[in-house]
Amino acid sequence: MNPPIYEIKGIKHNYDSKTVLEINYLSIQKSSIIGLVGPNGSGKSTFLRLLGLIEKPTEGEIYFDGYPVAPFSDSARFLVSLLPQEPFLMKRNVYKNISYGLKLRGNVNDIQSRVEESLLTVGLTYKEYAQREWYALSGGERQRVALASRLALKPRVLLLDEPTASVDSLSEQLIKDASLRARKQSGTTIIIASHDRQWLYETCDEILHFFQGKILETGQENFIFGPWEKLESGKWGKILSDGQKFYVTEPPNKNSIAVIKAFTFGHEHIPASAIEIDLKGVISRLSLEKKTGQIFATFLVGNLPLTLKLKPHQNIEKTWFPGNKRNIRYRLDQLKWI
Amino acid sequence: MRLHAKTSSQFHAVAFFILTQKMNFLLEGFLKAFHLLISGNDETYSAIWATLSCSSFSIVCSLTIGIPVGFCLGYYNFTWKKTLRTITDTLMALPTVFIGLIVYAFLTHRGPMGNFGLLFTLQGIAIGQTILALPIVISLSAAAVECADRKLRIMIMSVGGNRRQLFLTTLWEVRHALMAGAMAAYGRVMTEVGVSMMVGGNIKWHTRTITTAIALETNKGQFGMGVALGLVLLFIAFCVNISVSFLRRRN
Amino acid sequence: MKRFFLAAACFVLFVCIFPAVGISQKQQLMMATTTSTDNTGLLDYLIPKFKAKTGIELKWTATGTGKALKMGENCDVDILMVHAPASEKKFVNNGFGTDRREIMYNDFVIIGPDQDSAGIKGKSIEAALQIIKAKKAVFVSRGDNSGTNKKEISLWKISNIPVPEKEGWYVQTGQGMLATINVATERNGYTMSDRGTYIKYEANLKGNPPLKILVEGDAILLNQYSVIAVNKKHCSNAKYDLARTFIEWITGAEAQKLINDFKLLGKQLFTPNAK
Repeated sequence: MNPPIYEIKGIKHNYDSKTVLEINYLSIQKSSIIGLVGPNGSGKSTFLRLLGLIEKPTEGEIYFDGYPVAPFSDSARFLVSLLPQEPFLMKRNVYKNISYGLKLRGNVNDIQSRVEESLLTVGLTYKEYAQREWYALSGGERQRVALASRLALKPRVLLLDEPTASVDSLSEQLIKDASLRARKQSGTTIIIASHDRQWLYETCDEILHFFQGKILETGQENFIFGPWEKLESGKWGKILSDGQKFYVTEPPNKNSIAVIKAFTFGHEHIPASAIEIDLKGVISRLSLEKKTGQIFATFLVGNLPLTLKLKPHQNIEKTWFPGNKRNIRYRLDQLKWI
Repeated sequence: MRLHAKTSSQFHAVAFFILTQKMNFLLEGFLKAFHLLISGNDETYSAIWATLSCSSFSIVCSLTIGIPVGFCLGYYNFTWKKTLRTITDTLMALPTVFIGLIVYAFLTHRGPMGNFGLLFTLQGIAIGQTILALPIVISLSAAAVECADRKLRIMIMSVGGNRRQLFLTTLWEVRHALMAGAMAAYGRVMTEVGVSMMVGGNIKWHTRTITTAIALETNKGQFGMGVALGLVLLFIAFCVNISVSFLRRRN
Repeated sequence: MKRFFLAAACFVLFVCIFPAVGISQKQQLMMATTTSTDNTGLLDYLIPKFKAKTGIELKWTATGTGKALKMGENCDVDILMVHAPASEKKFVNNGFGTDRREIMYNDFVIIGPDQDSAGIKGKSIEAALQIIKAKKAVFVSRGDNSGTNKKEISLWKISNIPVPEKEGWYVQTGQGMLATINVATERNGYTMSDRGTYIKYEANLKGNPPLKILVEGDAILLNQYSVIAVNKKHCSNAKYDLARTFIEWITGAEAQKLINDFKLLGKQLFTPNAK
């Protein structure tokens, strides 16, 4: 059994006495691709910065390859590289930007070939780009050069924070391809935060869902936001945009968030005590989870997106495609509050 | 038409005459400056040497001490950061005679550092000038480092830089602002009189700098000589700035 | 690029350290003297001859008498050459100095504009000062506690006039003799100067100065210069032996003759009177 490349124990990180990240235990296997999803401010960037040894967690320990590490740790700083969301280069030309990290390691011999190789990986030619100054690049080109400077180092772990957020579509594709190639060729562990859920689900071994600084159970979660009110039947719920009523158990407070795991559609043993609620919805998306081969279907109920899991090899009728209306059913006992 | 031309040329002649009478010692100084430099006047060159070696030494010292201190002041966040910055900014405006007086009090034989025999020496002046230049270097370095992008830190650390590389690379990234600070300090040091006079004693051939020589000549009423020496100093400052901007262009 | 910086830095450092190498303590004597003495150029003329004769290098700093005496008290110099007899005697009595020897003298004069609107030419010093006070004529003083300044203050006292500190016509420059004369020239006023500096001023203006000598010759206007060695008992670092060598030399026949021969515009500035 391979020791994990990362082990995170009892992490709590605060900014100005506000806790932004709290993880009890997490381990990440070598050469895996991990995706991070979650709304802005949910702690993904903080998580990446801690793993990238840019900051030290307020509480807790991070273990890299079995050893405890912190910013500037000699045992890990050459093996871990973070690409931040904003494309940033130093005030020098492309060649010097990429060779900077190599020179730090004392790799003076084959710098030029490695620069050339990494530029090629991100789709830029050496001849045209090596001598370009930092101010003469577009946003997408800058991010690609930033990625190239990390790839040239051949790190064991590559951390990418929304790498395609502020770039053009060509750069986006090249960045995605380059990252995956690193994993294929060198066994690099890749951890990516992205809003492109679909792509993440297709490429990643595992997805971590971040919400308000915590990692939720892996797997598709449905979040339903308040405000909640007592409807005429005396039950709690809210009225959706198409008039349907979404019923819930009594919320801890008016603005709590309800969570239902992506519920399985179809033939499943349902205990007698379960309360089931029917809703009408329109299929908006079908996607594939790479790891398990599962198919997920997202329904729009009014404006509320709800995601269901379809059983593998389920007999999918011809009517299961986006745009079609179907009935869905959820269980009240499976609803949790956070 | 012809009358007009005649009166205007007469006017110019009169104006020129008045100008030369009134600005007598300025013109005299200008010509004298050339003469001093080209004829290799011993006293002048001794003063030039004294000025250059003192100010260069004090700049090197103040940069070596001041830039790391300024870096820490600008880079890190701590409780007294604002107070310290205000203090160094205020110290930038200390009168040179005041600093000269304090340094004299230390270096005089009755004072705490009297045994080193630094009074009336160029080294003593250099110490005083270092103290003069330090607040400028510290304040302007801190300002330069504060202008550095926060993302630079993440970039350097994410490619494996350690603290020393973080420090050096950040300084390199803000080198233009640092250079401006160094030039400001150099200007202040090269042109000051208060420290050189009090600590150096204006001793001919030994601690007479260009600025103290100017003070002496103007005190003796030799304004032309004073202007000449001032122009010599200007010329030297010009040469220094040219070589610095040459370096800047190469980057 | 980096190598260039390194080379430049090394060069600069070498240039700066170099003077330090040169300054070894060997045969160096430090003197404090007054600006009046220095401004005449006498020391530039005399000292090279001293060095040739004895091999001792004499360095001097010129300030006001007050500061020169303070420097002696602070042990920053080895020998003094000043011209304020009362203060000098106090200095010696306090144990700060020894071997006080008179070396030369000249006199003080009152100078003023040619037209002499106050009409003091040829009068005695007391009468002249009375007239200046009565007519509120502009009088420029050094006001810097120098030997000259102390003399001037004493003249007001001798003429039974309280020192006109706060009067509008009494201008205190706080600067050296030549600077003060310049201010007097600009303001068209009167001032008191030592003859040596006045001759230097005359020579600077090629023999035709705006201010002329109006009052001279009173016995009270004598200006006596002396040398004093700093007391080794008070200052252990004082180079007493070298100071003595200088005192012997300047009171000796050779130096006294040199002082006698020092002339500007054909006029003698100092009269040697070492005993």
